[in-house]
Amino acid sequence: MEWFVKRLGISVLLVWLVATIVFLAIYLVPGDPAELLLSQGGAAPDPAIVEDLRDQLGLNRPVLEQYLHSMAGLLRGDLGYSMMDGAPIAGEIATRLPRTLELIGAAALISVLVGVSTGTLAAVGAGGAFDRIASALAGLGLAVPVFVVGTVAILVFAQSLRLVPAGGFVPFSQDPAQHLILLLMPAGTIAVGLSATMFRVTRSAVLEVTLRDYVRTARAKGLSFRRILTRHILRNALIPVVTVLALNLGTLLGGTVLVEYVFNWPGLSGLLVDAVNGRDYPAVVGVVLVISILFVTLNFVVDVLYAVLDPRVRHG
Amino acid sequence: MRRLPWLPIVAVGLIVLAALAAPVIGLADPVAMDVAHRLAGPSAAHPLGQDEYGRDVLSRLIWGARTSLGIAFAAAAIACVIGTILGLVGGYVRGVAELLAVRSMDVVLCFPPLLLALLVVTLLGPGASTLIPVLAIVYLPSFTRVAYAGVLSVRGHEYVTAMKVLGAGRLRIMTRTILPNIAGPVLVQFSLAAASAVVLESGLSFLGLGVVPPAPSWGLMIGAARGTMVQAPLLLLWPCLALTVTILAMNALCDGLRDVLDPHPAARRASWFSRFRRVAAPVVPEPAEPGTVLDVRGLTVAIGDPGDGKLAVRDVSFHVREGETLAIVGESGSGKSLMSLSAIGMVPAGVEVSGGTATMEGKDLLALPAAELRKLLGDRMAMIFQDPGSSLNPVHRVGSQIAEAIRAHRPVSRRAATTQAVTLLRNVGIPDPERRAKAFPHELSGGMRQRVMIAMAIANGPRLLVADEPTTALDVTIQAQVLDLLASLKRDSGLGLLFITHSLPVVAEIADRVAVMYAGEILEEGPTAEIFADPRHPYTAALLRSAPKDDGPAPEGIPGTVPVPGDLPAGCVFAPRCDKSIDTCVKTRPPLFDIGPGRASRCIRWASL
Repeated sequence: MEWFVKRLGISVLLVWLVATIVFLAIYLVPGDPAELLLSQGGAAPDPAIVEDLRDQLGLNRPVLEQYLHSMAGLLRGDLGYSMMDGAPIAGEIATRLPRTLELIGAAALISVLVGVSTGTLAAVGAGGAFDRIASALAGLGLAVPVFVVGTVAILVFAQSLRLVPAGGFVPFSQDPAQHLILLLMPAGTIAVGLSATMFRVTRSAVLEVTLRDYVRTARAKGLSFRRILTRHILRNALIPVVTVLALNLGTLLGGTVLVEYVFNWPGLSGLLVDAVNGRDYPAVVGVVLVISILFVTLNFVVDVLYAVLDPRVRHG
Repeated sequence: MRRLPWLPIVAVGLIVLAALAAPVIGLADPVAMDVAHRLAGPSAAHPLGQDEYGRDVLSRLIWGARTSLGIAFAAAAIACVIGTILGLVGGYVRGVAELLAVRSMDVVLCFPPLLLALLVVTLLGPGASTLIPVLAIVYLPSFTRVAYAGVLSVRGHEYVTAMKVLGAGRLRIMTRTILPNIAGPVLVQFSLAAASAVVLESGLSFLGLGVVPPAPSWGLMIGAARGTMVQAPLLLLWPCLALTVTILAMNALCDGLRDVLDPHPAARRASWFSRFRRVAAPVVPEPAEPGTVLDVRGLTVAIGDPGDGKLAVRDVSFHVREGETLAIVGESGSGKSLMSLSAIGMVPAGVEVSGGTATMEGKDLLALPAAELRKLLGDRMAMIFQDPGSSLNPVHRVGSQIAEAIRAHRPVSRRAATTQAVTLLRNVGIPDPERRAKAFPHELSGGMRQRVMIAMAIANGPRLLVADEPTTALDVTIQAQVLDLLASLKRDSGLGLLFITHSLPVVAEIADRVAVMYAGEILEEGPTAEIFADPRHPYTAALLRSAPKDDGPAPEGIPGTVPVPGDLPAGCVFAPRCDKSIDTCVKTRPPLFDIGPGRASRCIRWASL
């Protein structure tokens, strides 16, 4: 329990640090956001209009006041307004975040099913034909960048074979079947690399655990092969597998950008790319903050999961 | 050290060479447009065709390699230099430097990498000049961590202390002594970062947030080819292929480097899995004497391929009777554990039984189908091991691990098995067994864990118990308690105990008979009291002299070391270390001589010792 509180405290501290850094980053950068925003056409903007915008964005107030103001907003769940269309950023994020999470969840599900099962099979028959073929495929899966997979998948499955639409999004409530069909391609695309990662971790974890003394004990007890594999080997191999999965899911929180772009999936990343292109500082800050908070939260959840999986951690 | 990964080195080398040579190999101008021939197929002037503005694809591909690799290597190099310095200083100086240099990296790690890159691109604007610092920041923490971890593991070593004593300054120690020792992992990290930077750069360029058109970049080319992929799918294919092959080669290089530099080789095969598939027809062995629980004859075990002739155990015969303890004694490396494990069918990975029989209850354990052997293991015969800490599964409660052993052989409910497990824990002398059954192994002391192992082993009332150095990892008082426990179990249940140890005092305390093993052979065998009083092999005598005694002369060591399988002396295996050795000993390997009731010796001079 004490461990849990301590870990929770560290997570809260990290979130605060991240928010502060993102806030400071905007300040440390040369150039005035208001001027940059208005000078997009190329011509120098009218100083009076720049001044107006600075006022409107609160950029004329002292740094500390702005900082406290934005931190207070963050606590209330207020992330400010978009400089592009004036819409509240928190609302936009609330609409798009679930779509991104759904994509990541579906990809993780496919990857765990494919990667853990093939990884175990490869380890059991290490050195055999299946192991060699699967290991080679995993090497390939890790080497192909996600946007290449996505683009080629569209070319093959959507353009040539015409099996699925090239991309897009339909809310689940509107048409569940179509929603899932549209989910399949982007999720499958992410799963190519992630399954390969899961395969590798599972394979090496199973091989390593197999050599442990307690597996020898399990053999000496006369347990069946299936029971040794599930209860003794996989149960322990799960610990590194879960760690690596969580690390990768965290990376995916920002990494779906490319896949969402390729498949026109209106998730959080699309908002981010638009905001980056349009130099919409409040929107960029909002999205980066939300994702980083999720990232920190995820790491916290993993640590808790760790303690559940490995009883030794609880006392460490 | 393993072989260098030549294939990936050559592949990456060729790609880098092509990128470097781009300006001098007479390529078409990568940005010269020719809109009249847009999307034109391959021709003599344009071997890979022309893109949507009629630019030469081959030229853009090779110039693109220059852009991508240039950015990736530059970013990785900057991250490598700064990160390594931070890690070195943080790890060696410690204190505030550690906090600033290493802990600050944890904050960078709070941002997913692509997101961090996007944030910086927003602030600095797109372009190659932004990409290098962006990617450098993204990969900085990994270098700091690798260097920091390296320093922490190296700084305590004698050679670092030696440098300090010699009066070397901090800077000198860091650069001259520590840096070369952590260079391996840093190099691996560099190749990882460079490969990953190529992916990230192309991804950002693909989004239009990286390299600015019309400069060639693979990511940009793929992004642009998307619009025309139906008319000109090849246009999409070339940069995709270039990118994938490059990353494949770089990844292979990373894996290869890691294999070469990593001092801990990864587990490659789990060969004991195959033993579960064994279905050989059982040979009907010669009937053993009544009252014998295990009868081993001519057991020979090969390391690796049996054809290699590396025999770790050669022609070993012994038997264990009901209610009797046979101790197998010998130095480390004598093959006693391997022999005992193999004798009951628990052949470890990497070795094969190449001859002999091991009879138990009329069945040859060495030829029994896996399913039949499994029925005997944990039921009719059981094992306890040297290190109870690692022999218990850390993630399961001890009570459930015992119950599992019962349920593997008896059709009882989980609840009944658990109740039985508590009774067993009480029987092996564990206080408060109800509570202890719910404990995890790490919550128990070493002696307690070994009692749990014993409870697990006797759960099904075995006729044979194999104990492999069961007291070595325990301190002396606990050792005595465990030995007493084993002795009383044997007395009460009449099981046969095969006790493996290197400790003669333990043998004296527990064994009825002793077999002395050396270099994979039994050199002498007989009743414990007789062997101790009147050893008939020089090795046994030397072992007895080397054991510490409460009174009497100081222990004497045996000069030399145990020979390894594959490099055995031609004659008696002990001859090179023997003070009684004569010519014949060196030339011919002696057989095991029968030298009296229940006694045998492999020394040709046994009568004159």
